[in-house]
Amino acid sequence: MNTIRRSVQAKPWLGWILFIITAIIVFGLGLLTSSIIERRTEAQYLDQKKVEIREFEPRNIVWGQNYPKEYETYMATRDTSFMSKYNGNAHIDQLEQFPALVILWAGYGFSKDYNQPKGHVYAVNDIYKTLRTGAPSGTGDEPMPATCWTCKSPDVPRLMNEIGVKEFYMGKWSRHGEEIVNPIGCADCHNEKTMDLQISRPALIEAFERQGKDISQATHQEMRTLVCAQCHVEYYFNKEKPFEGVPYLTFPWDNGTSVEEVESYYDVINFSDWTHQLSKAPMIKAQHPGYEIFQTGIHARRGVACADCHMPYKSEGGVKFTDHKIQSPLNNIANSCQVCHRESEEELTNSVYENMDRVLEIRGDLEHLLVKTHLEAEFVWKLGATEEQMKDALMDIRHAQWRWDYAAASHGGAFHAPVETLRIISTCIQLANDARLKMTGIAYELGHRGEIPVADVSTKSKAQAYIGLDMDKLIAEKKHFLETMVPAWREEAKKREEAMPQYDLNVKKVSFK
Amino acid sequence: MKLKKLFNILRPPSYWLFYVNLLIAFFLGIFIYSIYVSNAVSYLSDDPKTCVNCHVMRSEFATWQHSSHREVATCNDCHVPHNNVLNKYYFKAKDGLRHATMFTLRMEPQVIKMHEAGKAVVQKNCQNCHQKINEEVGLLNITLEDKQHGKGKLCWDCHREVPHGRVKGLDSTPNAKVPLPGSPIPEFIRNLNTNKK
Repeated sequence: MNTIRRSVQAKPWLGWILFIITAIIVFGLGLLTSSIIERRTEAQYLDQKKVEIREFEPRNIVWGQNYPKEYETYMATRDTSFMSKYNGNAHIDQLEQFPALVILWAGYGFSKDYNQPKGHVYAVNDIYKTLRTGAPSGTGDEPMPATCWTCKSPDVPRLMNEIGVKEFYMGKWSRHGEEIVNPIGCADCHNEKTMDLQISRPALIEAFERQGKDISQATHQEMRTLVCAQCHVEYYFNKEKPFEGVPYLTFPWDNGTSVEEVESYYDVINFSDWTHQLSKAPMIKAQHPGYEIFQTGIHARRGVACADCHMPYKSEGGVKFTDHKIQSPLNNIANSCQVCHRESEEELTNSVYENMDRVLEIRGDLEHLLVKTHLEAEFVWKLGATEEQMKDALMDIRHAQWRWDYAAASHGGAFHAPVETLRIISTCIQLANDARLKMTGIAYELGHRGEIPVADVSTKSKAQAYIGLDMDKLIAEKKHFLETMVPAWREEAKKREEAMPQYDLNVKKVSFK
Repeated sequence: MKLKKLFNILRPPSYWLFYVNLLIAFFLGIFIYSIYVSNAVSYLSDDPKTCVNCHVMRSEFATWQHSSHREVATCNDCHVPHNNVLNKYYFKAKDGLRHATMFTLRMEPQVIKMHEAGKAVVQKNCQNCHQKINEEVGLLNITLEDKQHGKGKLCWDCHREVPHGRVKGLDSTPNAKVPLPGSPIPEFIRNLNTNKK
C-alpha cells in the first residue's frame, strides 16, 4: 500500500481534502468546547434577579423583590396562633406562669418582665416593649447598653460597618434607636450577591478564632446551623477586653461549650452579671444556649442542622423552597420530622411532649428549691451572718442557678438534648441542697433553731411586691416611652431610609403592627 | 513491524512535518481544555458535587440534600450498579455519555425521568441497603422485570417522595444553594483588575 506521503505527492488534491477534513474536525471540537463553556456559564446566571441588592441592605422587603416566596414565609413569622404543650409563638407572660422566676432573678431586669419569645419579625418591636429596656428619655438614665441591639436587626451589620464594631458597642441602648428599625431578616444570614449563608456579626467568628477554628471553612450544611449560632447561644458583655469600658459581646467558649466548661470560664475571670438582691450571691444569667445544648443531642450527632427542622423545604405549586417561617417544628411535623421519621404526627408529637413533661417536672421542682435557697440566704444574712461564713454557700447558689438557667433558657433543650438537660438539672439540685445545708449550719451557729421560714411568693405580683418592684411606675414610664420616643425614632429612621436607593416595590407589602 | 508500517502510511511528506506537528499540538490543546472545562476527571469520583457540573441537576441535588438519604447515600450509591467495579464504571460511562450528549445538544426535557436501565439499577440499590425490609416484607424482592410483567411494584411506586419528592422539573427549586461549578478562569486572572486598585 502507498503511504499518504506518496499519495499526496501523486495527487495534490488529496492533501487538500485531508486539510479540509482536519479543519472540520477542529471546528467541531471547538463547537463542543464552547458549548460546554456556555452551559457552564449558564449555571452562574441561573438566578437573574429583578433588583440589585446592595451590600448591608437592611430592608427585608428589598430582598423580597427577588425572593418573594422566601420573603412571604419570613413575614409569616408574625403568626402568634401556635401553642404547643409548653411553648409556641404566642405572647405568654412567663413570670405569670412561673412566679418563681421573679425571685430567682431578683435585682436583675428579668424579674420585671419576661415573655415567651415570638417570631423574628417581632425582634425590634418587642425590645421596645419589654420593661427590661426601661424608658430611656435621652438623659442616659437607662438600664441597657447599646450592645443589646446586636441580635435584633440587619441594621446591625450595616451600622457596624459604618461606625465600627467598638463604636457600635459603646454607650447606652437608646443611642441606636434611630438606626435600628428592621427586624431580624435577610441580611443577618445571607450574602447579598450569592445568597450564600454568611456570618454577619463578629462575636461568633471571634469565638471560633479563640478556639483555633476557622469558621470560613464551614460547609454549607454546617452554616445552616452556624448562622443561627450567631445569636442562639450563651454570651456575656466583656467590659475589659478587647476594649476597656466597652461592653463587648463575647461567647464564653474558650474552654468548651458544656455547662461546666463555661462555668469555669466565668469563675476564672470572676464574672457576674449581677448580685442577687436577696441572697447576695454573685449571679450569672445564662442567655439562650440553644446551639450549645443542641450539639449534645442525637440530632446534631446525626448531622441535622437547625434549618433542617426549623426551615424545611416547602412545596408550592411546582416549586420547592426553604420555608422561612422559622418556627417550632411541632407546627410543621409533616415537612420537618417526617422527612426522616415515619411515625404518625400524633406519635411524634407525643414523644416530644413526653420528654418535655419529664424535664419540666424536675425543672419545676428545682425552681422551687432555688427560690427557697435564696429566701433562706436572705434570712441567714438578717441573722447577722458574715461574708466569710456565707462565701461557700453563695458560690453553690451561683453555680446551681447558673446551671438551672443554662438548662431552662436553652429553648427546646428538652427536645434537643433531654439527657444532657436532665443531667444539668440534677447537678443543680445537688448544688442547691449543698448551699441549704451550709446555711442551716450557719443559722444554727447564729442561734436559730428549726426550719427557716420563707415568705409567700407564689404569684407574680406577690413576688414582685416582695422584692420591691414598683410595677405601676415601670409600666407607666414604658408607656410614655412607647408613645413619645419610639415614634420619634421611627420618624428619623424613615427619613434616613428615604435617602437610600428606592425600588419599585411591587411585591405585596405584608404589613403588621 | 505492523506499527511501523502504519506510521509510514500516515506519515506526512517531510516538508509538512512542521505544520502537522503544530496542528496536532493545537488539537491536543483544545482537547485538554475541553477536559478541564468540563471537569471530566471529577466523573471518576462518587462526589455528589460532580452531578451538578450540569446545572440541570440542581433540583435533584437540592432535594436529595434536604432528604434523609443525604446522611447515608450519595447519588452514585443509588444510581449506578454496585455488583462489581467494572460494571459500575461501564454503566457510569454509558449513562454519563448519554447525559453529556443530551446536555451538550440541549435536548434535556423539562422534567427529567429515569429510563429503564436506570430504574433497574435504583431498584436493586434500594434492596441492597434495605435488606432487612426485604427479608421481612417478602413482597420486596421485585425487580424491574417483575414489574413489567405485572408481578409487583417498584419501591418508589409507593414511596413516591423518596428522596427527590414528587414535584420534579428543571425549575422546581429556583433558589437552591447547590455547589454549581464556578468560573473556569483562575482566580488570579479574575483578580488582576481588582488587585491593581
